[in-house]
Amino acid sequence: MERMKTGIAGLDTMLRGGFLPQTANLVEGAPGTGKSVLGMQFIHNGIVHYDEPGIILTFETFPRQYYRDALNFGWDFRQLERENRLRILMSSPEVSKADLEQLGGTIERLVEEMGARRILVDSLSHFERLTDDPVELRSLIYSFINGLKREGLTAVLTRESPAILGEGLFADEDENIAFVVDSYILLRYVEMDSTVRRALLVLKLRGSDHAKEIRRFEITSSGIEVMDTFKGREGIMSGSPRRMPEAFIEAFIRHP
Amino acid sequence: MVSASGNDLAARLMGDMDPRLLEFLKTKVNSFVKWDLVRFFHENPHTTDTAENVARYAGRDPATIAAELEELTENGVLERRQVGNLTVYSLATDEEMRKLIEQFILACEDRQFRVKAIYHIIRGMR
Repeated sequence: MERMKTGIAGLDTMLRGGFLPQTANLVEGAPGTGKSVLGMQFIHNGIVHYDEPGIILTFETFPRQYYRDALNFGWDFRQLERENRLRILMSSPEVSKADLEQLGGTIERLVEEMGARRILVDSLSHFERLTDDPVELRSLIYSFINGLKREGLTAVLTRESPAILGEGLFADEDENIAFVVDSYILLRYVEMDSTVRRALLVLKLRGSDHAKEIRRFEITSSGIEVMDTFKGREGIMSGSPRRMPEAFIEAFIRHP
Repeated sequence: MVSASGNDLAARLMGDMDPRLLEFLKTKVNSFVKWDLVRFFHENPHTTDTAENVARYAGRDPATIAAELEELTENGVLERRQVGNLTVYSLATDEEMRKLIEQFILACEDRQFRVKAIYHIIRGMR
Protein backbone atom coordinates (compact mmCIF):
# COMPACT_ATOMS: atom_id res chain seq x y z
CA MET A 1 0.00 0.00 0.00
CA GLU A 2 1.39 3.42 -0.97
CA ARG A 3 2.38 5.63 1.94
CA MET A 4 3.25 9.30 2.29
CA LYS A 5 6.30 9.13 4.49
CA THR A 6 6.74 11.86 7.06
CA GLY A 7 10.49 11.24 6.98
CA ILE A 8 10.43 11.20 10.78
CA ALA A 9 11.89 7.75 11.36
CA GLY A 10 10.14 6.72 14.56
CA LEU A 11 6.84 8.18 13.44
CA ASP A 12 6.80 6.38 10.10
CA THR A 13 7.40 3.14 11.99
CA MET A 14 4.42 3.89 14.23
CA LEU A 15 2.33 4.66 11.13
CA ARG A 16 3.49 1.42 9.45
CA GLY A 17 5.23 3.38 6.74
CA GLY A 18 3.58 6.79 6.76
CA PHE A 19 0.21 8.44 6.16
CA LEU A 20 -2.13 7.03 3.56
CA PRO A 21 -2.31 9.18 0.40
CA GLN A 22 -5.07 11.80 0.11
CA THR A 23 -5.93 11.68 3.77
CA ALA A 24 -6.42 14.26 6.49
CA ASN A 25 -4.15 13.73 9.46
CA LEU A 26 -4.74 15.63 12.66
CA VAL A 27 -1.87 16.51 14.99
CA GLU A 28 -3.16 17.84 18.27
CA GLY A 29 -1.26 19.22 21.20
CA ALA A 30 -0.72 22.03 23.67
CA PRO A 31 1.26 25.13 22.67
CA GLY A 32 4.92 24.32 22.13
CA THR A 33 4.51 20.55 21.90
CA GLY A 34 5.78 20.57 18.32
CA LYS A 35 2.67 20.41 16.10
CA SER A 36 3.91 22.98 13.60
CA VAL A 37 7.43 21.52 13.63
CA LEU A 38 6.02 18.08 12.82
CA GLY A 39 3.96 19.63 10.02
CA MET A 40 6.89 21.61 8.62
CA GLN A 41 9.06 18.49 8.73
CA PHE A 42 6.40 16.54 6.84
CA ILE A 43 6.38 19.24 4.16
CA HIS A 44 10.16 19.70 4.05
CA ASN A 45 10.94 15.98 3.89
CA GLY A 46 8.28 15.51 1.23
CA ILE A 47 9.91 18.11 -1.00
CA VAL A 48 13.55 17.24 -0.36
CA HIS A 49 13.48 13.46 0.06
CA TYR A 50 10.40 12.30 -1.84
CA ASP A 51 10.03 14.95 -4.58
CA GLU A 52 6.55 15.85 -3.42
CA PRO A 53 6.03 19.63 -3.50
CA GLY A 54 4.06 21.10 -0.63
CA ILE A 55 1.89 23.95 0.56
CA ILE A 56 1.75 25.48 4.01
CA LEU A 57 -1.53 27.23 4.73
CA THR A 58 -1.32 29.37 7.83
CA PHE A 59 -4.22 31.13 9.49
CA GLU A 60 -2.27 33.02 12.12
CA THR A 61 1.49 32.58 12.15
CA PHE A 62 3.06 34.93 9.61
CA PRO A 63 4.96 33.26 6.76
CA ARG A 64 8.10 35.21 7.70
CA GLN A 65 8.03 33.31 11.01
CA TYR A 66 7.97 29.98 9.17
CA TYR A 67 10.97 31.08 7.08
CA ARG A 68 12.84 31.93 10.28
CA ASP A 69 11.75 28.89 12.33
CA ALA A 70 12.50 26.50 9.47
CA LEU A 71 16.01 27.88 9.11
CA ASN A 72 16.64 26.94 12.75
CA PHE A 73 16.27 23.32 11.63
CA GLY A 74 18.36 23.86 8.52
CA TRP A 75 15.35 23.99 6.19
CA ASP A 76 15.54 26.86 3.70
CA PHE A 77 11.89 27.50 2.92
CA ARG A 78 12.62 30.72 0.99
CA GLN A 79 14.87 28.77 -1.38
CA LEU A 80 12.25 26.03 -1.80
CA GLU A 81 9.71 28.75 -2.68
CA ARG A 82 12.10 30.19 -5.25
CA GLU A 83 12.41 26.69 -6.73
CA ASN A 84 8.60 26.55 -6.91
CA ARG A 85 8.46 23.44 -4.73
CA LEU A 86 6.90 25.13 -1.71
CA ARG A 87 4.33 27.85 -1.21
CA ILE A 88 3.48 29.38 2.16
CA LEU A 89 0.00 30.87 1.95
CA MET A 90 -1.48 33.10 4.60
CA SER A 91 -5.22 33.42 4.69
CA SER A 92 -8.24 32.83 6.88
CA PRO A 93 -10.45 29.74 7.19
CA GLU A 94 -13.38 31.47 5.48
CA VAL A 95 -11.31 32.58 2.47
CA SER A 96 -9.50 29.23 2.18
CA LYS A 97 -12.75 27.31 2.30
CA ALA A 98 -14.36 29.57 -0.32
CA ASP A 99 -11.19 29.28 -2.44
CA LEU A 100 -11.39 25.48 -2.38
CA GLU A 101 -15.07 25.54 -3.27
CA GLN A 102 -14.62 27.57 -6.45
CA LEU A 103 -13.10 26.39 -9.71
CA GLY A 104 -9.56 27.59 -10.34
CA GLY A 105 -8.86 28.68 -6.79
CA THR A 106 -5.35 29.25 -5.45
CA ILE A 107 -4.90 25.76 -3.99
CA GLU A 108 -6.20 24.08 -7.15
CA ARG A 109 -3.84 26.25 -9.24
CA LEU A 110 -0.86 25.37 -7.03
CA VAL A 111 -1.63 21.67 -7.30
CA GLU A 112 -1.57 22.04 -11.10
CA GLU A 113 1.39 24.40 -11.39
CA MET A 114 3.68 23.03 -8.67
CA GLY A 115 2.42 19.47 -8.59
CA ALA A 116 1.78 19.93 -4.86
CA ARG A 117 1.00 16.66 -3.09
CA ARG A 118 1.21 17.68 0.56
CA ILE A 119 -0.32 20.44 2.63
CA LEU A 120 0.09 21.63 6.20
CA VAL A 121 -2.92 23.50 7.57
CA ASP A 122 -1.90 25.41 10.68
CA SER A 123 -4.24 25.38 12.46
CA LEU A 124 -7.68 23.87 12.25
CA SER A 125 -8.55 25.54 15.56
CA HIS A 126 -9.23 28.78 13.68
CA PHE A 127 -12.33 27.28 12.10
CA GLU A 128 -13.83 27.45 15.56
CA ARG A 129 -14.24 31.22 15.27
CA LEU A 130 -16.58 30.76 12.29
CA THR A 131 -19.34 29.18 14.35
CA ASP A 132 -20.33 28.25 17.90
CA ASP A 133 -22.43 25.34 16.66
CA PRO A 134 -20.46 22.06 16.90
CA VAL A 135 -22.56 20.43 14.18
CA GLU A 136 -21.93 23.29 11.77
CA LEU A 137 -18.24 23.30 12.69
CA ARG A 138 -17.95 19.62 11.91
CA SER A 139 -19.68 20.21 8.58
CA LEU A 140 -17.36 23.15 7.71
CA ILE A 141 -14.24 21.14 8.51
CA TYR A 142 -15.56 18.05 6.73
CA SER A 143 -16.20 20.07 3.58
CA PHE A 144 -12.77 21.75 3.79
CA ILE A 145 -11.00 18.40 4.24
CA ASN A 146 -12.89 16.88 1.31
CA GLY A 147 -11.79 19.83 -0.85
CA LEU A 148 -8.15 19.09 0.01
CA LYS A 149 -8.59 15.39 -0.74
CA ARG A 150 -10.31 16.18 -4.05
CA GLU A 151 -7.16 18.06 -5.06
CA GLY A 152 -5.13 14.94 -4.31
CA LEU A 153 -3.43 16.43 -1.27
CA THR A 154 -2.31 14.57 1.82
CA ALA A 155 -2.86 16.94 4.69
CA VAL A 156 -1.42 17.43 8.13
CA LEU A 157 -3.83 19.55 10.13
CA THR A 158 -2.71 20.94 13.45
CA ARG A 159 -5.08 21.65 16.31
CA GLU A 160 -4.40 23.38 19.58
CA SER A 161 -5.28 21.65 22.80
CA PRO A 162 -5.88 23.75 25.89
CA ALA A 163 -4.65 20.89 28.09
CA ILE A 164 -1.03 21.47 28.99
CA LEU A 165 -0.48 18.31 31.02
CA GLY A 166 -3.30 16.03 30.05
CA GLU A 167 -6.14 17.51 32.09
CA GLY A 168 -9.44 17.45 30.18
CA LEU A 169 -7.91 15.07 27.69
CA PHE A 170 -10.92 14.84 25.40
CA ALA A 171 -13.60 17.45 25.01
CA ASP A 172 -16.83 16.92 23.04
CA GLU A 173 -15.49 18.86 20.07
CA ASP A 174 -12.44 16.53 19.96
CA GLU A 175 -14.77 13.64 19.19
CA ASN A 176 -16.44 15.66 16.44
CA ILE A 177 -13.13 16.40 14.75
CA ALA A 178 -11.75 12.89 15.33
CA PHE A 179 -14.54 11.43 13.21
CA VAL A 180 -13.80 13.54 10.14
CA VAL A 181 -10.05 12.97 10.01
CA ASP A 182 -8.25 9.82 8.89
CA SER A 183 -5.57 9.80 11.51
CA TYR A 184 -5.22 11.40 14.89
CA ILE A 185 -1.88 12.01 16.57
CA LEU A 186 -1.69 13.37 20.09
CA LEU A 187 1.31 15.29 21.38
CA ARG A 188 1.49 15.78 25.13
CA TYR A 189 3.73 17.20 27.79
CA VAL A 190 4.57 14.67 30.49
CA GLU A 191 5.90 15.54 33.92
CA MET A 192 8.45 12.96 35.01
CA ASP A 193 11.15 13.18 37.67
CA SER A 194 10.74 16.98 37.87
CA THR A 195 11.27 17.31 34.13
CA VAL A 196 8.76 18.04 31.40
CA ARG A 197 9.09 15.65 28.49
CA ARG A 198 7.10 15.16 25.35
CA ALA A 199 4.96 12.14 24.44
CA LEU A 200 3.39 11.08 21.14
CA LEU A 201 0.54 8.68 20.52
CA VAL A 202 -1.09 7.59 17.29
CA LEU A 203 -4.67 7.37 18.45
CA LYS A 204 -6.23 6.49 15.13
CA LEU A 205 -5.17 5.55 11.60
CA ARG A 206 -8.14 4.79 9.42
CA GLY A 207 -7.62 1.88 7.04
CA SER A 208 -4.39 0.66 8.57
CA ASP A 209 -2.80 -0.89 11.59
CA HIS A 210 -0.63 1.41 13.68
CA ALA A 211 1.51 1.31 16.80
CA LYS A 212 -0.47 1.65 20.01
CA GLU A 213 2.37 2.50 22.34
CA ILE A 214 3.12 5.95 23.66
CA ARG A 215 6.54 7.12 22.51
CA ARG A 216 8.74 9.87 23.87
CA PHE A 217 9.99 12.44 21.38
CA GLU A 218 12.29 15.43 21.32
CA ILE A 219 12.63 18.51 19.18
CA THR A 220 16.26 18.55 18.15
CA SER A 221 18.27 20.90 15.93
CA SER A 222 17.20 18.80 12.95
CA GLY A 223 13.52 18.49 13.84
CA ILE A 224 11.42 15.95 15.66
CA GLU A 225 12.98 12.65 16.72
CA VAL A 226 10.62 9.96 17.95
CA MET A 227 12.29 7.70 20.46
CA ASP A 228 11.40 4.67 22.56
CA THR A 229 8.45 4.10 24.88
CA PHE A 230 8.11 5.25 28.48
CA LYS A 231 9.18 2.01 30.11
CA GLY A 232 7.83 1.13 33.54
CA ARG A 233 5.36 4.01 33.59
CA GLU A 234 1.67 4.33 33.10
CA GLY A 235 -0.79 7.19 32.91
CA ILE A 236 1.50 8.96 30.43
CA MET A 237 -1.26 10.83 28.59
CA SER A 238 -2.66 12.12 31.88
CA GLY A 239 0.49 14.24 31.98
CA SER A 240 1.57 12.83 35.36
CA PRO A 241 2.71 9.25 34.82
CA ARG A 242 3.26 6.86 37.71
CA ARG A 243 5.77 4.08 38.02
CA MET A 244 4.12 0.72 37.41
CA PRO A 245 4.41 -0.59 41.02
CA GLU A 246 2.74 2.57 42.32
CA ALA A 247 -0.03 2.18 39.76
CA PHE A 248 -0.39 -1.49 40.74
CA ILE A 249 -0.71 -0.63 44.43
CA GLU A 250 -3.22 2.10 43.67
CA ALA A 251 -5.31 -0.15 41.46
CA PHE A 252 -5.28 -3.34 43.51
CA ILE A 253 -4.56 -2.42 47.12
CA ARG A 254 -5.71 1.13 47.86
CA HIS A 255 -8.79 0.83 45.66
CA PRO A 256 -9.70 -2.84 45.62
CA MET B 1 10.22 80.00 11.86
CA VAL B 2 11.75 78.33 8.81
CA SER B 3 12.35 80.62 5.84
CA ALA B 4 11.17 79.85 2.32
CA SER B 5 14.78 79.26 1.26
CA GLY B 6 15.20 76.86 4.22
CA ASN B 7 12.16 74.93 3.04
CA ASP B 8 13.59 74.83 -0.48
CA LEU B 9 16.89 73.48 0.85
CA ALA B 10 15.09 70.77 2.86
CA ALA B 11 13.03 69.84 -0.18
CA ARG B 12 16.18 69.58 -2.32
CA LEU B 13 17.97 67.42 0.25
CA MET B 14 14.97 65.21 0.76
CA GLY B 15 14.42 64.95 -2.96
CA ASP B 16 17.82 63.33 -3.36
CA MET B 17 16.56 59.80 -3.90
CA ASP B 18 16.07 57.36 -6.76
CA PRO B 19 13.38 59.03 -8.94
CA ARG B 20 11.46 55.76 -9.29
CA LEU B 21 11.30 55.32 -5.53
CA LEU B 22 10.37 58.98 -5.06
CA GLU B 23 7.54 58.54 -7.54
CA PHE B 24 6.51 55.29 -5.79
CA LEU B 25 6.40 57.11 -2.45
CA LYS B 26 4.52 60.13 -3.71
CA THR B 27 1.93 58.33 -5.76
CA LYS B 28 1.52 54.87 -4.21
CA VAL B 29 2.84 54.61 -0.66
CA ASN B 30 1.67 58.04 0.41
CA SER B 31 0.62 57.18 3.98
CA PHE B 32 2.15 55.37 6.92
CA VAL B 33 -0.60 52.75 6.87
CA LYS B 34 0.14 52.01 3.20
CA TRP B 35 3.83 51.75 4.05
CA ASP B 36 2.97 49.18 6.73
CA LEU B 37 0.76 47.26 4.33
CA VAL B 38 3.37 47.19 1.57
CA ARG B 39 5.93 45.87 4.04
CA PHE B 40 3.46 43.28 5.35
CA PHE B 41 2.61 41.94 1.89
CA HIS B 42 6.27 41.96 0.90
CA GLU B 43 7.29 39.93 3.97
CA ASN B 44 4.32 37.58 3.57
CA PRO B 45 4.03 37.54 -0.21
CA HIS B 46 1.41 34.81 -0.61
CA THR B 47 -1.16 36.35 1.70
CA THR B 48 -4.70 36.50 0.39
CA ASP B 49 -7.39 37.78 2.70
CA THR B 50 -10.26 40.14 3.36
CA ALA B 51 -9.75 43.73 4.51
CA GLU B 52 -11.03 42.77 7.95
CA ASN B 53 -8.50 39.98 8.35
CA VAL B 54 -5.63 42.02 6.91
CA ALA B 55 -6.53 44.67 9.51
CA ARG B 56 -6.28 42.00 12.19
CA TYR B 57 -2.85 40.90 10.94
CA ALA B 58 -1.70 44.52 10.85
CA GLY B 59 -3.27 45.35 14.20
CA ARG B 60 -5.11 48.34 12.73
CA ASP B 61 -8.64 49.68 12.34
CA PRO B 62 -10.57 47.70 9.66
CA ALA B 63 -12.23 50.78 8.12
CA THR B 64 -8.88 52.53 7.66
CA ILE B 65 -7.28 49.39 6.24
CA ALA B 66 -10.17 48.84 3.82
CA ALA B 67 -9.73 52.33 2.33
CA GLU B 68 -5.94 52.00 2.08
CA LEU B 69 -6.16 48.54 0.49
CA GLU B 70 -8.50 49.96 -2.12
CA GLU B 71 -6.06 52.76 -2.97
CA LEU B 72 -3.12 50.34 -3.17
CA THR B 73 -5.22 48.23 -5.52
CA GLU B 74 -6.10 51.23 -7.72
CA ASN B 75 -2.37 52.01 -7.90
CA GLY B 76 -1.39 48.49 -8.94
CA VAL B 77 0.49 47.55 -5.75
CA LEU B 78 -2.12 45.00 -4.73
CA GLU B 79 -4.71 42.95 -6.57
CA ARG B 80 -8.33 42.49 -5.59
CA ARG B 81 -10.56 39.57 -6.50
CA GLN B 82 -13.72 37.81 -5.45
CA VAL B 83 -13.53 34.44 -3.70
CA GLY B 84 -17.11 33.29 -3.32
CA ASN B 85 -18.83 36.30 -1.80
CA LEU B 86 -15.63 37.60 -0.19
CA THR B 87 -13.45 40.41 -1.53
CA VAL B 88 -9.80 39.53 -0.96
CA TYR B 89 -6.50 41.31 -1.51
CA SER B 90 -3.07 40.00 -2.40
CA LEU B 91 0.24 41.35 -3.67
CA ALA B 92 0.30 42.32 -7.35
CA THR B 93 1.65 39.56 -9.54
CA ASP B 94 3.19 42.08 -11.99
CA GLU B 95 6.97 41.45 -11.99
CA GLU B 96 7.89 45.12 -12.43
CA MET B 97 5.75 46.12 -9.47
CA ARG B 98 7.22 43.35 -7.31
CA LYS B 99 10.76 44.52 -8.21
CA LEU B 100 9.85 48.10 -7.31
CA ILE B 101 8.42 46.98 -3.95
CA GLU B 102 11.52 44.90 -3.28
CA GLN B 103 13.69 47.91 -4.11
CA PHE B 104 11.64 50.13 -1.80
CA ILE B 105 11.81 47.68 1.12
CA LEU B 106 15.57 47.25 0.67
CA ALA B 107 16.03 51.02 0.54
CA CYS B 108 14.05 51.33 3.79
CA GLU B 109 16.83 49.47 5.58
CA ASP B 110 18.84 52.69 5.28
CA ARG B 111 18.02 55.25 7.99
CA GLN B 112 18.64 58.24 5.70
CA PHE B 113 16.20 56.84 3.17
CA ARG B 114 13.58 56.31 5.88
CA VAL B 115 13.96 59.90 7.07
CA LYS B 116 13.44 61.14 3.53
CA ALA B 117 10.48 58.82 3.02
CA ILE B 118 8.84 60.06 6.22
CA TYR B 119 9.40 63.65 5.09
CA HIS B 120 7.66 63.02 1.77
CA ILE B 121 4.75 61.22 3.36
CA ILE B 122 4.19 64.00 5.88
CA ARG B 123 4.44 66.63 3.12
CA GLY B 124 1.95 64.71 1.03
CA MET B 125 -0.48 64.51 3.95
CA ARG B 126 -0.62 68.33 4.41
